[in-house]
Amino acid sequence: MNEVVAFWILSIIAIFGALVAVRKRNLIHGVFALLVFFAGLSGLFLLLLAEFIAAVQVLVYIGAVGILLLFAIMLTERVTGDDDRRVTSRGWFWGLVVTAAVFVVLLLPAIQQLPPPKAAQTIDPSVKELGHKLMNPYVVTLEVLALLLTAALIGAVTAAQGVRMPKEEDSPE
Amino acid sequence: MSTTTLALIPLLPLLAAALTCALQNGRRAAGVAIVAMLASCGLALSALKEACGMKPTDDPLTFDFEWLTVGNDTVINFGFVLDPLTGVMAAMVTFVGLLIFIYSAGYMKEDERMARFFCYLSLFAAGMLGLVLVNNLLLLFMCWEIVGVASYLLISFWFHKPEAAAAGKKAFIVTRIGDMGFLIGILLAFKTTGTLTLYDGGQGLLELPIGATVLGLKASAMISLLLFMGAVGKSGQLPLHVWLPDAMEGPTPVSALIHAATMVAAGVFLVARTMPLFENGGTLPVVAWTGAITALIAAFIALGQYDIKRILAYSTVSQLGLMMVGLGVGGVAVGMFHLLTHAFFKALLFLGAGSIIHGCHEEQDIRKMGGIWKPMRVTSIAYLCGTAALVALPFVTSGYYSKDQILAAAWEEPLMRPVFWIAAAASLLTAVYMTRQCLYVFAGEYRGCKTPHESPVTMTTPLVILALFALGMGMVLEKSIFAKLQGKLIHDNFVIAVSMAVALGGIALGWLIYRGRALGQAADPLAVTPLVRKLWFDELYAATVGRLWALAIVIFEQLNELLHFVRDLAVLLADRIGNAFAVGGDRKLIDTLAFDGMCNRLRSAGHAVTRPQNGFLPGYLRLIALGAVALGLLVSWMK
Amino acid sequence: MTLHHYLILAALLFCVGLMGAFTRRNAIVVLFSVEIMLNAANLNFIAFWRYSENPALLHGPLFTLFAIAVAAAEVAVGLALVIAVYRHFKTVDLESMDTLREE
Repeated sequence: MNEVVAFWILSIIAIFGALVAVRKRNLIHGVFALLVFFAGLSGLFLLLLAEFIAAVQVLVYIGAVGILLLFAIMLTERVTGDDDRRVTSRGWFWGLVVTAAVFVVLLLPAIQQLPPPKAAQTIDPSVKELGHKLMNPYVVTLEVLALLLTAALIGAVTAAQGVRMPKEEDSPE
Repeated sequence: MSTTTLALIPLLPLLAAALTCALQNGRRAAGVAIVAMLASCGLALSALKEACGMKPTDDPLTFDFEWLTVGNDTVINFGFVLDPLTGVMAAMVTFVGLLIFIYSAGYMKEDERMARFFCYLSLFAAGMLGLVLVNNLLLLFMCWEIVGVASYLLISFWFHKPEAAAAGKKAFIVTRIGDMGFLIGILLAFKTTGTLTLYDGGQGLLELPIGATVLGLKASAMISLLLFMGAVGKSGQLPLHVWLPDAMEGPTPVSALIHAATMVAAGVFLVARTMPLFENGGTLPVVAWTGAITALIAAFIALGQYDIKRILAYSTVSQLGLMMVGLGVGGVAVGMFHLLTHAFFKALLFLGAGSIIHGCHEEQDIRKMGGIWKPMRVTSIAYLCGTAALVALPFVTSGYYSKDQILAAAWEEPLMRPVFWIAAAASLLTAVYMTRQCLYVFAGEYRGCKTPHESPVTMTTPLVILALFALGMGMVLEKSIFAKLQGKLIHDNFVIAVSMAVALGGIALGWLIYRGRALGQAADPLAVTPLVRKLWFDELYAATVGRLWALAIVIFEQLNELLHFVRDLAVLLADRIGNAFAVGGDRKLIDTLAFDGMCNRLRSAGHAVTRPQNGFLPGYLRLIALGAVALGLLVSWMK
Repeated sequence: MTLHHYLILAALLFCVGLMGAFTRRNAIVVLFSVEIMLNAANLNFIAFWRYSENPALLHGPLFTLFAIAVAAAEVAVGLALVIAVYRHFKTVDLESMDTLREE
């Protein structure tokens, strides 16, 4: 019973957060709505008994990605966002149509397979297990991921810094 | 007598014709021609001598060699034949020809185309001699045509005179009509017998018995009738006689040679030569009747003519009719006898007329002559001898003997009695018109403008020679030559009486009618309009055949117009079709629609394809999402 | 709670993010939308893991972990790019960045 209620509350938080994030003209508000969304999602992960992931979600997404987005917003424009219209002038309707189509298609396998699987077993693998798995079968992936993060770091720094282009007048500021 | 000798008889004049063709000098040309003719004459006389040595029952001598081979087995020979008939004709043609050549040397002296005249004369002589000597019907026809061409050239010799040119054309065309029948006859003969050689040792055309029938008639009858058509044309029998009087437009020697002695005789000769066919076919009565009617009608027309040569022309037609009668009733001997005597006295008469015309300064109308007796003594005497022969004055003229034979033969055959009376009537008329002519020309006072004078010796000498022959030939020839020819010679007292009566009576009649009249001023009592108008034969032909021809011309011109129209239509059609294809097809369809259209469509298609490339990122995203949707659908559908 | 609930939720969230990506002109909002989509996918993974037959395999969390890590890296690089673009175009409006189009 509690579970159901929790699910619904968390769902509404998540949906609400996402909607506000994409609809708000003021980007700061949008970022904060996004953070709410991340929080809701973290709650959902908890509900699904994936505590470690929930924690990671909060740490990484809310703590790092959200802050990063905030900094980017502050660096790129005025806080209130652009003066232009929010929505593209070009056929937002078709965008909605495509969205609806995607929604239907995503649900097709689920709809086709009628009896949903049973409730989860109560086996709770621990974090230790996760760590063990990371080190033994998936260590290569881990290392690659590490490399990826390094590359991303270097790339981000380089891109943000800007390369001096050999142009006469258009030197990046 | 070898082939070469016989071949030379026509070849020498042919050679002369070739030589004189290139000459300009008239006298030189005359010399060449006369020499050739002289040599030919000599050879012909020797051939005649040999021919006379043959008996009537002998086969004729033939000299043949193969000329054409048609298919595998049919052969056309080229060769000569020698028998009394040939001999007589060859001798006559060369002799009379020689005399006329000599006469022409004087007559044509002032003509600038004299050399060309002798060329044509020689050509004619060659053709005529070839005609009488060859042993092949086809070759005979070829020589027949050569003679026709030569006569055309000679009649229209003075071609700048439109009447002369027209006369030449008329002669050629009218004889052509007859020649058509001749040709069909040759073809028929070839078809039924398979050979065209006349005498071939028993296999010749004239020796084979022909049993086939064609269109209900016996083949030989059909063939002989067709050949007779050619003779009718060439010898000026009714109804193809119309060219002969007009042919008098030619120079007088031409009239003498061609239209008195030789060419017109070719028709008679043809019938004589192919007599076996006529006998076999039983068509001799046709010949006789045609001849009789011609003789009578021509004699009538002669009564109405005022041109001296026209009178003689109609006289020739009449006499040719009598020759045909002779062949029809009596056979070769009778017909050929008259032909021979006629050749001499008619040539004499024509040459004499030429002399008279020359002496009267080219005057030909007898109404403007008169009293010629005194100034032109030699000519007059010779002319009167000729007249006597023509009228058949008893016993002293050759004409008497030959005409007597004709009448006798006609009388002999009971069925031919009507022919006899017609022939007798024609003879009577002959005497009348000749008397008329002589009175007009010789008697009374001269009614012309200038003074008449006698002709030069070159012209009068032949006249004298011919006069001698005209008088003396009869008795001699009857016994010697004509006994050798086919047919028999009869002496019937009744007939002799009739012919004497006719001759003398005709002269008396003419004397009575014309003597003493003021000729030339008063009207001629016998020259009534139908006769003067030649019984309107020419007008009749112009109205019928002439009209038909004009109609044909109109029809053909319309056809031509039609063809032009069709052609124009075709051109128009082709033009339109071509245009349609070019503009409609090529330009519109291919260029605009296909080619340019394709290019434009390609361009616009390409343009349409570039539209997604708009740099609009969310748009790209949508497309990606759409692709993913499609993929998802595909996967779920496949499951 | 059945799996379907989670799936529907995740699909919905995904579509919200998609809508944002299709519709907004601001590049950073598009990045927001991308993050939303990624998170929705992560939710899907965990849901499927939880309702799978053998959760001891830990496939869900593992994948999600990596996904989060990669997403974080991607955001970093993406934002760096946005900053670079902003320097050049003086705006982050997607509709003004159309130099790749024809003409």
